[in-house]
Amino acid sequence: METVSKAPRRRSRFFLAEARVAYLCLLPAFLGLIFLTYVPLLGVLGISLTNWTGLATPEFIGFDNYIKIFTTDPYIKDSIIATIYFAILSVIGSMIYSLFIAMLLNRKIPARGFFRAVFYVPYVLPAVAIYVGWSWLYEANFGFFNYLLSEVGLHKVLFIADSSYVVPSLSLISVWLAGNLIVIFLAGLQNVPIVYHEAAEMDGANGWQRFLHITLPSMSPIIFYNLLMSLIANLQVVTPALALTNGGPGNASRFMTYLMYDQAFVNYKLGYACATTFIIFAILAAFTIVLFKTSNRWIYNEGGDDK
Amino acid sequence: MSGAVYGQLRSRKRNRRIASTITFVVVVFFAVLVLFPIWWIFRTSLMTNAEIYRYPPSLIPADWLFSNYEKTLQIFKFWKYLLNTMTIIVPSCLAGTFTATLCGYAFARLRFRGKNLIWALCVGSMLLPAMVTLIPLYIGWTRGLGLHDSYLPLILPYFCGGGAFNIFLIRQFIMSIPRELDQAATIDGAGYFRILFNIIMPAIRPAMIVVALFIFIGLWNDLLQQMIYINSSEKYTIALGLTNFKGQLKQDWSLTMAATCMSFAPGVIFYLIGQKYFVEGITLTGMKN
Amino acid sequence: MKAGKSLGAGILSVLLVSGVVGCGNNEDNTASPSASASASSGAEASKTPDTSSSKTEKVKITYSMWGSAEEGSATQAVADKFNASQDRIEVEVVSIPWENYMTKLNTQAAGGQLPDTGMMKEDGVIQWSSEGMLNDVSAMYEGSDSQPLDSLAYKYQGKPVAYAAANEVLLLYYNKDMFDKAGVAYPPSALDKAWTWDEFVAAAKKLTVDKKGKHPDEDGFNSDGIVQYGASIENLPWQLETWVLSNGGGFYSDDGTEVRVGEDASIEAIQKVADLYLKDHVAPLSVGQTDDGIQRTIIAGTVAMATNGAWNVGTSLNTAKEEGLNYGVAVLPYMKEKVTLNTGGANVVFSQTKHPQEAMEWLKWYNSEENNWGLISSGIWMPTLEKWYTDETLTHKWVDNPNFPPYDEYKSAVVDYAQSSAARPASWFYTNHTTDFNTLLGSILGDVWTGKTTAKDAISKNLEALKAAHEGSN
Repeated sequence: METVSKAPRRRSRFFLAEARVAYLCLLPAFLGLIFLTYVPLLGVLGISLTNWTGLATPEFIGFDNYIKIFTTDPYIKDSIIATIYFAILSVIGSMIYSLFIAMLLNRKIPARGFFRAVFYVPYVLPAVAIYVGWSWLYEANFGFFNYLLSEVGLHKVLFIADSSYVVPSLSLISVWLAGNLIVIFLAGLQNVPIVYHEAAEMDGANGWQRFLHITLPSMSPIIFYNLLMSLIANLQVVTPALALTNGGPGNASRFMTYLMYDQAFVNYKLGYACATTFIIFAILAAFTIVLFKTSNRWIYNEGGDDK
Repeated sequence: MSGAVYGQLRSRKRNRRIASTITFVVVVFFAVLVLFPIWWIFRTSLMTNAEIYRYPPSLIPADWLFSNYEKTLQIFKFWKYLLNTMTIIVPSCLAGTFTATLCGYAFARLRFRGKNLIWALCVGSMLLPAMVTLIPLYIGWTRGLGLHDSYLPLILPYFCGGGAFNIFLIRQFIMSIPRELDQAATIDGAGYFRILFNIIMPAIRPAMIVVALFIFIGLWNDLLQQMIYINSSEKYTIALGLTNFKGQLKQDWSLTMAATCMSFAPGVIFYLIGQKYFVEGITLTGMKN
Repeated sequence: MKAGKSLGAGILSVLLVSGVVGCGNNEDNTASPSASASASSGAEASKTPDTSSSKTEKVKITYSMWGSAEEGSATQAVADKFNASQDRIEVEVVSIPWENYMTKLNTQAAGGQLPDTGMMKEDGVIQWSSEGMLNDVSAMYEGSDSQPLDSLAYKYQGKPVAYAAANEVLLLYYNKDMFDKAGVAYPPSALDKAWTWDEFVAAAKKLTVDKKGKHPDEDGFNSDGIVQYGASIENLPWQLETWVLSNGGGFYSDDGTEVRVGEDASIEAIQKVADLYLKDHVAPLSVGQTDDGIQRTIIAGTVAMATNGAWNVGTSLNTAKEEGLNYGVAVLPYMKEKVTLNTGGANVVFSQTKHPQEAMEWLKWYNSEENNWGLISSGIWMPTLEKWYTDETLTHKWVDNPNFPPYDEYKSAVVDYAQSSAARPASWFYTNHTTDFNTLLGSILGDVWTGKTTAKDAISKNLEALKAAHEGSN
């Protein structure tokens, strides 16, 4: 975890007041975490040790579900690979794209307000419309992209109908949807002190140098946040599979959360789905911990904790 | 000498003009790419259902059926759904943004025992997809608290911190504000809440607007939870209303897309209003020249 | 460790929440009277009707259905007629969006909050029944003058547990203008004249045209530039069973206990369907990701023949017909045996209900065709009661309207077909775990449709997993 310094143990009035304020501030969130996340999660843990279908009375079966996941499950391996592949493509793509666009939109250009809205719109659209819209573009036989390809005499690309292309195709949609990252970057760029830029410019630093030495460091807490958020969101990906591919072709887009959803709500294996949840949780936790551990090296923390 | 400096400045000015032209061209290029799928959705909303599937696909509707929008409004009770949705969104946005700010402040600035633990719990909760706890929560809200066909299971969670992602976002923004500012205020004798309200909050207004925006959009499009907790069609929201076009075995895509085009307007309007504050607007005095 | 105790462990924590916050009050709840039916597991249900209130007050029952809010109010209007017709039962209709229907039902089941009765998707019925979630409805039609077609009863261990709300049958739709233009004879609507698979493929080749007007068996044909396809076979797993049966194979043995999809005849049938795209170049690629087959094919005007369910007549083809589409219906071609599948979503009584008698009474009333006339006369649902198929005056009443193709054609290719020897119930009428099986089969065949692997390799490699899925054990 990111370093959060240990509270000093001296019992000064100062400290007591500070802690009291902190607990007061955190009370609502703490209640939420306990009752809306961790207590239900205990329930999920309990269910994962049963063969509950969600219907009849369950039986306690110990770790059978977990053993099954690692031994006979026909989907889990493909599912983990598909999820990580998708997440890596999408995170890299959307981070570069959204930072690039945010930098452009932070400059003085005509109709800036309009363009800022344009890049945000995909994020606002409801998922159904997005994926159906894209399915008409991607469709293998009569989709618009293949129409263009055939007009210029190229071979068809099957996009989401081909197990090799489905993940990159879906990642492209995910990059397109990254309007929220752009918004956060834009808000973050407001905090980069212009005086620094001007000083650097006077010193003769070019645009790239200023980007590397001023923008990136002062944006680093925000970059970290966006990176983490986009990583978690993309590892939890489920909507494209639900709305567009049903996990196929084959298992090429059977993302982990989709797999879990399918087990819990379609195939009546609630106990098993709950066990899968903890596998997902473990994978996400591993990625998150790595990200946090490495974050100290590159986050430039202007107002963070004093040591 | 001075002539040389003048020339240098002029060439720098010219370079800038060239640079901003290039920027503009690049922005327009990307904007066209981004808008293309949206145009595709929009042109679909003006077509007949047969035309949608016709080959070769056409970029422009054959006869711009704006009447689709009238038909849509008969099935898609926009104003009613909007009112219902707002009943959920307004309290959630306000409470969520406020409680997220409180928590973010505590994590970013205050020292207290158990900080690491609570922070870890907070981060851990982000790792769980919302579907995971759907069934236990449903049991808790309906059987435990007797909330049937109610908006409360959708609203109340936002009174509890507005979600770990948002707490995290606020924390990151507060951490990017120089500490000297609130230290100066402490010396002036300001209490923690006064620092929060008078110094931190104005400084992180962009982030707060962003959080409100995310809560807004998150609830706006959250079909799964709304579908689980809401039963009667009287209480339908925009997200649920969009399913009205999928009947028993059939789906009217042109009307679905027409409804979609109507339904995302409020989100964009909110964004346009909000962006004034978080991008055009005032930031900390002393941070900008 | 058994039963309720372990679930107690599972949801103990949740009840804890309610305990702590402590204002649970189920009695206010009118929307879902079954809410307080069971206190611990949700599986136990009291089966005694609430007799105390029945004299003075109407028994309230909830009926859930999939569909839009509009369809929900239409059904409520029908239910209001029922409510007015007697003074004991009050039915309230809840409509749930189609995509999320089973998700919501599962959640409600897990929470012990199910409605009293409702519609249910085909592939869940047997499993719900095997878990004791559905009431036996065999008494529903006792002493009735007309019974539902026997193929429309969901049977678990031989007993009917639910009746289909509607009948559906798989058909071959075709575009008459394309056939006329190519000078090919229409596919037959009479079962005894049904095309063989080879005749079907031969016709499809004549109807497939690339940009330069060439057909698949001609030199210089460019399969990347096809502008009109001859045929499309819907390859969603449950529909694929038709072809497997037709080739003398099967997904399962007749009683649904053994898996037969690994047999040569079954594999060969699946490969033949895949080859329509891969080798014959007469079909567009479909990998089973969408369920809008007819819209993408016949209505789009890009495919000359396509198979799909009878519901399409009412859901999309009637509108397309008004807009000028000249389509026809025919019986399916066959490989060795003539086969089509019957299906239809079920109307069930949930065992969590306190009012099973009242629920059954409502269903029986509602299931009689006059009350679903809107859905039937538009061509979405076919009647379930036998008399509509055998009494030609009734058939005329049903089919003689502009929503349908010409009477004789529909009568022969749909009405007669549906009760012929070719019509067999889809396997989910009598087999458990079809959802699991179909999900896995669909995933296994994903690379078969694109030709990356063959049906033989894909299925033999995964046969054990398929068998495990059939037993519900993977």
